[in-house]
Amino acid sequence: MEDMLFYDRLQFAFTITFHYIFPQLTMGLSLLIVFFKGKYLRNNIEKYNDAAKFFMKIFAINFTMGVVTGIPMEFQFGTNWAKFSELTGNVIGQTLAMEGMFSFFLESSFLALFIFGEKLMGQKLHFLTGFLVFLGSWASGWFILATNAWMQHPVGYEILDNGKFVLENFSALFSNPWLIPAFLHNQLASVVTSSFVVASIGAFYVLRNKQIEYGKLFLKTGVIFGLISSLLVAFPTGDWNAKNVAKYQPASFAAMEGIFETEEAGAEIVLIGQPNMVEKKLDNKIAVPNILSFLTYQEWDRQIPGMDHFKKEELPDNIPALYYSYHIMVGLGTIFIGVMFLSAFFLWRKKLYTLKPLLWTIMFLVPFPYIANLTGWYTAELGRQPYLVYGLLRTTEGISPTVSSGNTLFTLLGFVALYMLLGLLFLVLVGKTINEGPKHQTH
Amino acid sequence: MTGTLIALISILVGIIAANGFGYTVKKYSFGIMGNTIVGVFGSVFLIKSFGRLGFDPWSIMNNEDFVGLRLVINIVVSALGGVVGLILAKLLYNKIN
Repeated sequence: MEDMLFYDRLQFAFTITFHYIFPQLTMGLSLLIVFFKGKYLRNNIEKYNDAAKFFMKIFAINFTMGVVTGIPMEFQFGTNWAKFSELTGNVIGQTLAMEGMFSFFLESSFLALFIFGEKLMGQKLHFLTGFLVFLGSWASGWFILATNAWMQHPVGYEILDNGKFVLENFSALFSNPWLIPAFLHNQLASVVTSSFVVASIGAFYVLRNKQIEYGKLFLKTGVIFGLISSLLVAFPTGDWNAKNVAKYQPASFAAMEGIFETEEAGAEIVLIGQPNMVEKKLDNKIAVPNILSFLTYQEWDRQIPGMDHFKKEELPDNIPALYYSYHIMVGLGTIFIGVMFLSAFFLWRKKLYTLKPLLWTIMFLVPFPYIANLTGWYTAELGRQPYLVYGLLRTTEGISPTVSSGNTLFTLLGFVALYMLLGLLFLVLVGKTINEGPKHQTH
Repeated sequence: MTGTLIALISILVGIIAANGFGYTVKKYSFGIMGNTIVGVFGSVFLIKSFGRLGFDPWSIMNNEDFVGLRLVINIVVSALGGVVGLILAKLLYNKIN
């Protein structure tokens, strides 16, 4: 049973990690495409339209890869997690179906119209199709987050005698206090990723002395969007999320912050340290006293329950992984604010385009927003353990009892091989598109 | 479980077929990127629409009793999805442009 659980979780973690590389870019990029197209409508400067169409090509590749890698996710609910689907399908089936019916169809239909229909529709309708693609991709995030929010903080449900969850209050799914902060935090984090992608393509063009005009436009747009979104990801949305974890999942909060012992006179915030699970302490830690209590409750000496306050079975089952995921996310987020602030300063001083070390930094930082987004999701998912539905349904109760660990391992290896092929194809397509650059077309 | 893998292989066949057809018959090609996108959606559309006639991944696995002929049909239909998708997309593209 332990083996089965391990391989089921490993397979889901691998496939969802690979999958989330793509939607995290499309959600943020759609906003930037709407911005470029809107600017073109306002000032009629062709380079904005070219930029919108160029990034829609990159969007299309990512969207397609997202579809391909999303299909195994759908299958896994039925194969590896059949018990979970059987018990909670009446609730999560609502939001997942809405994601497919409303968001995916909206996004894919108008994506095709945006790519093919500019001449037919004229500029205003073309802008509208771009806006509907944006709406579809953000609505998709909303429904997925609504599903996850219910798993993190279940509301509006009733449990029948046979153990099945049924929905008692439909609107509660969307007024879940977990949902809005999680949605805003997630969407802004995807804007951070897209801003870094846009800025790094700009830096690449400027450094290569190719497509200079577009390079400067991408850099300027990426840096401005990047600075605003990096700040908003940290405050207020990140702060709001952390307060939710402290309120609804206090054991997870203690684990992700690395609080082994409850401190009576206020909790310190740990900047660096390594969890020592044998001695139940943090090794080599650097911490600032009382800050965590202040950030969480605006009281310097407020007590925050440590892990010693909870029973072992209430604590997340992989505390080091949770702790590191959370700290990597926060650390990277802080670096993003610093780099974007510096870039914005030099942009204002009109020196950014000639400052090569900073351009190289922007270009090579591209993988890190992806890592920060993924570790953010690991924090949420590892923090919810050992439950699938927090406090109600344990992860061990959700797996399919008839699927053997060997079976799961075999398909996992298959996924690894196929995803390597897909990953290569993705890199070739994106590399080719970036290398060609935006094409100037006059109307 | 293997059904999930077959679903992915099926999409890859759609991608290969669309790119192969686009490479052979140039007038229907959208370039590697366009052909790949059409290949994915073409194969998914045909398999999702008609697979339940008996050649979707679950029927192929038939409760762990693998049926090779159904897999062949699945692959053929998936490749067809890529090719037909490319032809239809090109017709649509020419019409609206």
